[in-house]
Amino acid sequence: MSGTAPSTPAPAVPWRRLDPRTLLVHCGWLAAPLGSLGLTALATGGRITTGAWITLAAVAVSFAVVTALGLIRWARTAFRVTDESFEVRSGLLTRRLRSVPLHRIRTVDLTATPQHRLLGVTVLRAGTASPSESGGALSLEALTVAAARRLRAELLARADTEAAAGDPVLARFSLRWLRYAPLTFWVVGGVFVAVGTVYRVLDGIGIEPWKLGFVRRAAQEFGSSLLWLTIPAALLAVLAAGAIGATALYTENWWNYRLEWADSRTLRIRRGLFTTRAVTIERARLRGVLLREPLLLRAGGGALVRAVAGGLGNREENRKRSAVLPPAPRPLALRVAGGTLRSPFPDAEFADAGVPGRPAPSAVGSDRPDRPALARHPRAALRRRRLRGLLWVVLPGTLAFAGCGLAFAPVLLHAAWIFAVVATSAVLWLARDAYRTLGHGVHGRHLVVRSGTFSRDTLVLERDAIAAWTFTSTPVTRRAGLVTLTAAVAAGEMGYRIPDLAAADAPAFAADAAPGIIDAFLLHPGRATEG
Amino acid sequence: MPPAVPPATGPALPLLRPPRHRVDPRARRWWTAQALLTLSGPLLLTALALTLCSVLFFPGALPWLGPLLVVLVLPALAYLLVMPRWRYTVHAWELGDLAVYASAGWFRQRRRIAPLSRVQTVDTLRGPLQRRYGLATVTVTTASTAGDITIAGLSDTDAEALSRRISKAAQDIRGDAT
Repeated sequence: MSGTAPSTPAPAVPWRRLDPRTLLVHCGWLAAPLGSLGLTALATGGRITTGAWITLAAVAVSFAVVTALGLIRWARTAFRVTDESFEVRSGLLTRRLRSVPLHRIRTVDLTATPQHRLLGVTVLRAGTASPSESGGALSLEALTVAAARRLRAELLARADTEAAAGDPVLARFSLRWLRYAPLTFWVVGGVFVAVGTVYRVLDGIGIEPWKLGFVRRAAQEFGSSLLWLTIPAALLAVLAAGAIGATALYTENWWNYRLEWADSRTLRIRRGLFTTRAVTIERARLRGVLLREPLLLRAGGGALVRAVAGGLGNREENRKRSAVLPPAPRPLALRVAGGTLRSPFPDAEFADAGVPGRPAPSAVGSDRPDRPALARHPRAALRRRRLRGLLWVVLPGTLAFAGCGLAFAPVLLHAAWIFAVVATSAVLWLARDAYRTLGHGVHGRHLVVRSGTFSRDTLVLERDAIAAWTFTSTPVTRRAGLVTLTAAVAAGEMGYRIPDLAAADAPAFAADAAPGIIDAFLLHPGRATEG
Repeated sequence: MPPAVPPATGPALPLLRPPRHRVDPRARRWWTAQALLTLSGPLLLTALALTLCSVLFFPGALPWLGPLLVVLVLPALAYLLVMPRWRYTVHAWELGDLAVYASAGWFRQRRRIAPLSRVQTVDTLRGPLQRRYGLATVTVTTASTAGDITIAGLSDTDAEALSRRISKAAQDIRGDAT
């Protein structure tokens, strides 16, 4: 950096330690065995079986080991920021020194669990561009909040600190968004996950829920009362519990949410009620955005936004960190997506609105800059979706019902034809919706792809970011004249699909959207082919 | 030689031609061996054992066991006989001036093109089975896992030469490799 002034005589930068309060966080792990012991004693009335003692002892030992490992790790971890790099010294048995050049650090997150927050500390994680599982990230557990903020500023000092133009805050949490919380998968799935977890925990410590008196009585009463009343009531109860759970989860995840450009090159997301998260994404790593509209949420007029960015960790971590906007009103989602892209979000329409089914030429312009035209996919894609649904959903279900009906109970034959009718209409509707969603196009320096019916996803991806093209086909799609194109990017989910576009259009579109990749392998009919 | 040109609408659209070079013919035998070891072999053995048991001890079971065995044997045989040949017609590769191009698969076929400026590493891999047939697999990795190119079934010498050429070409084309 400083080629002239030897004013920094490279002194040994002192090593810094983690905050001692982290020790208490690690001791917090001991709460789990103590808690499970207490719960077991409570549930069994003090008579704990040998098996339960063994389970409890195993739990206690493993958590004690975790605590001990945490304490040793705390004692042996040190870090410093030199002129060029961020260095972390750690290791239980083998001492490890990891050093990351400051200019390679892409994101710095601060995450605090409730335990951390109670003690006023937070975990800092510095991510780099490397896509490897853990090799790219350095994390420090834990620092005081003030120290962590200072360190984050130090690490990101290479980014220029000039303020972003205009209002840097893109969105803030609003209580009214909570109405979208029940419109997520967790309404039903969450209840099953919770019940399953409770059952497994009880099972693990030797309690069989089916043998508890009140559970038995409840099950018996349920069976002996009017089923046509109690089953809908039970379903309603599950839905209500799910809605409450989903709202609670939404609140925990997104309370105090704030999305802003911290400076002209750093996007920052802060959120969380008990566990607070702060994710920063460097602009150079931000390769696009994904607007998601899951079926239920779409029906409620909502959408959510994800960032397509590199350096956010592995697949799982990326899913957690890339959330830019929770389920929120669609117009706001469009605005936030545009603000994240720093250009109006192309809320695409189709080139031939009103004439579904006629494939439009792939590269088409549009008069309005914010509404680019997407090319529709060939009608064969619709047939394929219909056939797939009929083959994989309607046929097996109907056959199963009919088979059982013939073998055991003739009542099931009625179930078979009712299922066939209902499932067929559902499949046809979903296939039509999926087909109407399909579209792709080029909009300025972005590639725009829309697909999906269970979750209608609109992807806006920087064309520069495309690192490879993949053409996938099977004999079935080849007969139908379709091909699936996948754009590889070193960000987000790594590969983004454009499903079932016309095989004849695909090479031209790929060459047009990301020039310089496939050009050498194209044949131009009519032109002299090169030797 | 030129295949049927699609119905031209306005200016004729370009086609993606297949890669120039086929993989080594010995790859067919390697894929056959692989099929025998993984899917076809176990299935055929199971069918054989069932037939023997049935013939020796439970002749009464043959009428309903027969169709079941056919369901077991036919896919196993088809996979063993069809897959390697089909694969051989599909697998191909080419190193262009600016990009690597490879096609792979059999039923589900994949053509992938990655520019040399994005190449991060070039690995050559020889499994125990591959070594028996003198074959190797070259994997070209990029920063995106969806952009990695695998060329399987090259002869040893070809693989070495190709991996050297790709490494050299990737070095000559300076890119940020992201």
